[in-house]
Amino acid sequence: MGGIWVFAENQENTLELLNKGQEIARDLHEKLVAFATSRTMAENYIAYGADQIYLLPPLTEKEAWGDYLYAIADEAVKLLPAVILIAGTMRGREMAARLAQKLNTGLCSGCINLSVNQSGQLEMQRLIYGGAAVQTVVCTGTPQMAAIPPRTFEPAPYQEGHPGQIGELFLTPQSSVKIQELKPVVSAEGNLAEARVVICAGRGIEKEEDMEMIRRLAQATDGQIGCTRPISEELHWLPEDLCIGLSGQQVKPDLYVGVGVSGQIQHTTGIRESKVVLAINRDENAPVFEVADFGVIGDLYEVIPKLTDELEKRK
Amino acid sequence: MADIIACFKWVIDEAYLKSDSSGKLDFNWVDYKLSDYDKNAIEEAVRLAEQKGGKVTAVTVGTPEDTKGVKDALARGASEAVFINDSSFVNLEPSQTAALLADVIGRLKFDLIICGEGSSDLYAQQVGPRLAERLEIPCISYVTRISLEDDFIKAERKMENGIEVVIAPLPALITVSPQINTPRIPGLKDTLAASKKPVTEVTADELTVSNEPLLKTVSINKAAMQRNCSYFNNDEDGIVQLVNALQKQGAIT
Repeated sequence: MGGIWVFAENQENTLELLNKGQEIARDLHEKLVAFATSRTMAENYIAYGADQIYLLPPLTEKEAWGDYLYAIADEAVKLLPAVILIAGTMRGREMAARLAQKLNTGLCSGCINLSVNQSGQLEMQRLIYGGAAVQTVVCTGTPQMAAIPPRTFEPAPYQEGHPGQIGELFLTPQSSVKIQELKPVVSAEGNLAEARVVICAGRGIEKEEDMEMIRRLAQATDGQIGCTRPISEELHWLPEDLCIGLSGQQVKPDLYVGVGVSGQIQHTTGIRESKVVLAINRDENAPVFEVADFGVIGDLYEVIPKLTDELEKRK
Repeated sequence: MADIIACFKWVIDEAYLKSDSSGKLDFNWVDYKLSDYDKNAIEEAVRLAEQKGGKVTAVTVGTPEDTKGVKDALARGASEAVFINDSSFVNLEPSQTAALLADVIGRLKFDLIICGEGSSDLYAQQVGPRLAERLEIPCISYVTRISLEDDFIKAERKMENGIEVVIAPLPALITVSPQINTPRIPGLKDTLAASKKPVTEVTADELTVSNEPLLKTVSINKAAMQRNCSYFNNDEDGIVQLVNALQKQGAIT
């Protein structure tokens, strides 16, 4: 068979897929195949467990990353891979869906876990209903495909002397979508997804000026600020990329503090990997307390200053 | 003039999804809603048609019970609706929905198709891109801003590493992110007007596409997220104890 293929926009996400890919390749007795855009990258992927690399030519500024779709689809038709895993960045999610369509197969998008079952099929898990439920699916077409969110798996371990081959693919641009410009977004607030402490501002905060209180708490904990959807989308107190939830940022901090967060399922799905969840809300029935380890029922305008002072005292 | 198609889905409102004591999901009390990002899709289509002239056709795949969704879409400003409707069109996986939509939309005249980035229930984010592939038209996903010209579209997509500005010839398909607009809330007048707008029903026997699922659901279970909340008092002493507990857990250093 044609192997287990992994494909991602960047090196970091490729290494994560290589880790899970190795496990599947072992279970299905397949080789592990990755795609790279430079020879250095290709050699690196081999050292992290890939058995075969396909080298893709770099793109020009005008070419969309999605253009790789055609090269990969043509190769997949020829080589019939058993499994294709794609890193579910935004471009990756679109690419995965279009590739699945071209290959007339099923795709588990937002796949948070997968394993080979007794009949050699991939059982894949994803969240549905805003994160309220877990759906387990199998793909009845070939290849079996999954789009896996970044940071779902740890990067693959380095394997000294691991052998692998490098082959080249050619790009036949067929896409009519052309890039005019890539405007960098500078997020002044740092990297939320990697943050060790996340302070989340919710709708319980009454005025934009009160965000200063949240900033003070973030400083006291060396944390990053995030928010629920209404804060960014309706009130525009914070940029959209700080919105935490199933369709926004997924965070994995040691400590998440929900300040005036009610705990809608769409939001709490984005914090489920947090080590410790602290909720502060004056409504004792707020659903956030169901997903919290620690809670304070009370007016956030009383609790937050006291908490901040206590934390600063111990710094 | 621009003929725009907005796709939508009538879904279970997850806010009403309960589970029983054994952790099984209870669908008895659920209510339904127009999928959140499809509201943005319809809104953007209606705004473009208001600017450029032309009409908005709202298209959905569903069962006869989803008539309420068709009314809702029309109340949000679509000029007419196409309702691909059969009692078997239940629990479809994305490739099936895309196949049915492509079969019907392929027969219509359009400049632009707008879908939400994903549905509120499954959030698979596949139907838009799959539909574009089936119709062999350009696909631009996660769009936060567009300008529609006579024969091309310019769109901004907010990606992880920046805002990508792209152009593509028409006809094209875009999927929109919630940042693109704030959907209007239909009033009584809109709801009344909706009941007078034309709805074309397409039934299963008028379709040519074979519709086997490519993804099979093995199980659906409640997501285990429950934690045991320890409460602390909202006073000096309570806060001291809270910070002690946070330190003990290694949550703060």
